[in-house]
Amino acid sequence: MLFRFILSRLGSAAILSVGIIFVSFILTALLPGDAATSRLGERAAADPEIVAAMRTRYGLDQPLYMQFFIYLGNLLRGDLGTSIRTQNPVLSDLAQFGPASAELAIAATLIAIVMGVGFGIIASLRANGIVDQVLRVVSLGGVSIPIFWLALIAVYLFSTVNRIFPSSGRLNPGETPPPQITGMYTFDALAAGNWPLFVSAFTHLILPALVLSAPMIGLLLRFTRSSMLEVLGNEYVRAAEAKGLPRHTVVLRHVLRGALVPVITVLGTAFASLLAGTVLVEQIFGWPGIGAYAFRSASNLDLPAIVGVTLFVALVYITVNLIVDFLYGVIDPRIRRA
Amino acid sequence: MRISRGGAFVAAVIAGALVLTGCTPADTAAPDTVKDTLVLGKSFDLATADPARSFETTGGIFGRAVYDTLLTFAKGDATTPIPMVAESYEVNEGATEYTFALRDDVVFSDGTPLTSADVVFSFDRVKNIQGNGSFLMEGLSVTAPDESTVVITSEKPNTAIPAIITAQTLGIVNSEVVKANGGTDAEDASTTDTAEEFLNTTSAGSGPYIIETFNTETETVIVANPNYWGEPAAYEKIVLKNATAENQLMDVQSGTIDIALDLGSDQLPAIESNPDLVIESGISPTIFFLFSNANPEISEITSTQAFRDAVKYGLDYDGLLEIAGDGSEQVAGVVPSVFFGALKPADVTVRDLDKAKAAVAELGDIDPIELEYPSDFSVAGISFGAVAERIQANLKEVGLEITLAPSPISTALDSYRGGTEEMGLWLWNPDYPDPADYLVFAPDNIVGLRAGWTGGSHPELVELSDQAAITTDEAEREAIFREYQLAMNEVGVFAPLFQPAASVVAGKDIEGAVFSAVFGIDLTYIGK
Repeated sequence: MLFRFILSRLGSAAILSVGIIFVSFILTALLPGDAATSRLGERAAADPEIVAAMRTRYGLDQPLYMQFFIYLGNLLRGDLGTSIRTQNPVLSDLAQFGPASAELAIAATLIAIVMGVGFGIIASLRANGIVDQVLRVVSLGGVSIPIFWLALIAVYLFSTVNRIFPSSGRLNPGETPPPQITGMYTFDALAAGNWPLFVSAFTHLILPALVLSAPMIGLLLRFTRSSMLEVLGNEYVRAAEAKGLPRHTVVLRHVLRGALVPVITVLGTAFASLLAGTVLVEQIFGWPGIGAYAFRSASNLDLPAIVGVTLFVALVYITVNLIVDFLYGVIDPRIRRA
Repeated sequence: MRISRGGAFVAAVIAGALVLTGCTPADTAAPDTVKDTLVLGKSFDLATADPARSFETTGGIFGRAVYDTLLTFAKGDATTPIPMVAESYEVNEGATEYTFALRDDVVFSDGTPLTSADVVFSFDRVKNIQGNGSFLMEGLSVTAPDESTVVITSEKPNTAIPAIITAQTLGIVNSEVVKANGGTDAEDASTTDTAEEFLNTTSAGSGPYIIETFNTETETVIVANPNYWGEPAAYEKIVLKNATAENQLMDVQSGTIDIALDLGSDQLPAIESNPDLVIESGISPTIFFLFSNANPEISEITSTQAFRDAVKYGLDYDGLLEIAGDGSEQVAGVVPSVFFGALKPADVTVRDLDKAKAAVAELGDIDPIELEYPSDFSVAGISFGAVAERIQANLKEVGLEITLAPSPISTALDSYRGGTEEMGLWLWNPDYPDPADYLVFAPDNIVGLRAGWTGGSHPELVELSDQAAITTDEAEREAIFREYQLAMNEVGVFAPLFQPAASVVAGKDIEGAVFSAVFGIDLTYIGK
């Protein structure tokens, strides 16, 4: 049953990926501009021989449908092509920049879960009290304050005025990254037992992660609060309380568990906004992640990189949705049985 | 209790990490804990570490420190090439043959002596690799009569050669090492040379620094070359960190970087009162210009002299300098003020509303004209959009309706290079510091054609341009470039606007961090 479920999800993911590649190809091809000359200087762009050599080098001299089929063929062999801008294989670029974004997104998600769900529980237990009112303002602020503004203020306060956190980058300039296991420096530094490097990576990570988590905290706080309030009124909760179970057991084991399903749905949705926010946060914090890579690739009409990033992001979405689906079953066995 | 234990664990990790973070900011934010390292912030346009393929600003900064050239420029100068690998040179009377005598003590980073064969290989490789900088070798051939002599021969008189060979693209590589790693200078080098990957990881030059790590997206690190033949490098390690101008402003204030290279004049007031920072200001050789398409098939209006006069006299040049920021200068002709052959400040075009309005009256009732420019691109903090809006307002005052047509640079370049823009707002960065580089604005030449300008309409300008290209006597050369630019201004297809200010912001203890019109900053002078 589970195997069939996974197989059908993977099958639809593969079909979806081909569709995404096709749409990316068409949309990029429809853009005005010449990918072959966009990286050439003024003199070189005026030389037909050099332009022709560029077209041949990147296969841009082929008709679009041929480029598409060649790309698909290469993709089946695990080759995402070569970036016109960085001159690196797109796969190695993604391996470099993907983990940087993943590290940021995971850190932001963890912070958001701890703070958003935690504050949501507190707000529901103190419904309509002062604490609840304050947390609702926090929630509203998290959702409505533009993330780029928050990032600028955070850098100004915590890096420029008070040198608490570094203002940009993933490590101090000149520091050698840890040997790559996941590409996430905090994890890799710990795995390598390099404590100073872990501290450097962590202090660089914390501020952008906090900023990135702000909208998600606001969202999770509101949903956890309302979901908790809904469950708190159920009879089985009153029955658990009547049995004399400790308050924290009732809240965490009975109420929270029942309230988590809509929260997880929101978490999946919030991940989308997290990825969009990553582009801005990466830009402001000079974080060399997939967002900054995607932005520069799009600015340079770097077709292989654009399609590679699109595919990567789509796969992340599909994976996250799969995880969310599985989590439903873990949290609520009725869903698994259904 | 599974959830509560997990939650407690996560909370403990976060709390512990926050405590840890609070305890250690000074260790991570202060760069001066490593005394031998210099960190520069630069908005990267880095593409490659292979000098033959490199033609970007960041590549020039980095390449200057790693690869020596035959000649170079002294600190802060952009007018007179000085010896480097070549200790002297002679030129024949017709400026078609330059003979360079090489120093005998220059060695590459692996200790191998640099000989004329390395120069010939490096130059021929640039020529045949068909990269962005291959045009530098156009019409030139290079030979080596002996181990310490190099002869560059030009098909026609060319007084720009001493300036051209200072370009980092013509950095001299260790030919044996490069050949051993896939390099070739053969005519088919564009398809057979495979040395780029090697050169992106390993130095094959004779400069004061060698590559430690090369990354086009994050940071590139160079370290002192232990075998350097000249005065040793001042720093053990130099880190070029990729950062936007906004990041650089924050980084230089927080001490994360020592030098910021891309701050615009609008950002400088934020740090003027900072006692720990020094601002070294100069003038950029980049020129912003406006053109009116001279091709009647593109526009029957912009191709008229009346329209060009209306634009030329209708622009408020002083007002545009407000947009360009403090320290910017109106440029009198197409050659920037820092180079030989530039016009004098007294030659600048001055706004004349009467002349502009008379020209508009001559045009009669016309449709709005479209002004195209790149919308996602700024230089020295100057956005093209702001300049375009001011131009639109200036010309409205004299009765010309301009419609703004911004687009991303990747698409705007297409119509610019295709010569289809009615009006265009663009810039030109020098390829090499010589007025010959600005002959591209003449009719029938690269930029001239982008403005739809063919020689048939102004044959006298084509002749002037051709003459300027081959004139060798310095005084005559200066005079003919002056004549060329004044004639260009008179016609007015191009309206040279301004050169932005340029600044280098550095920690107060860092010496020699000055703006260079040729290299942006010359890393080899920093710390000396």
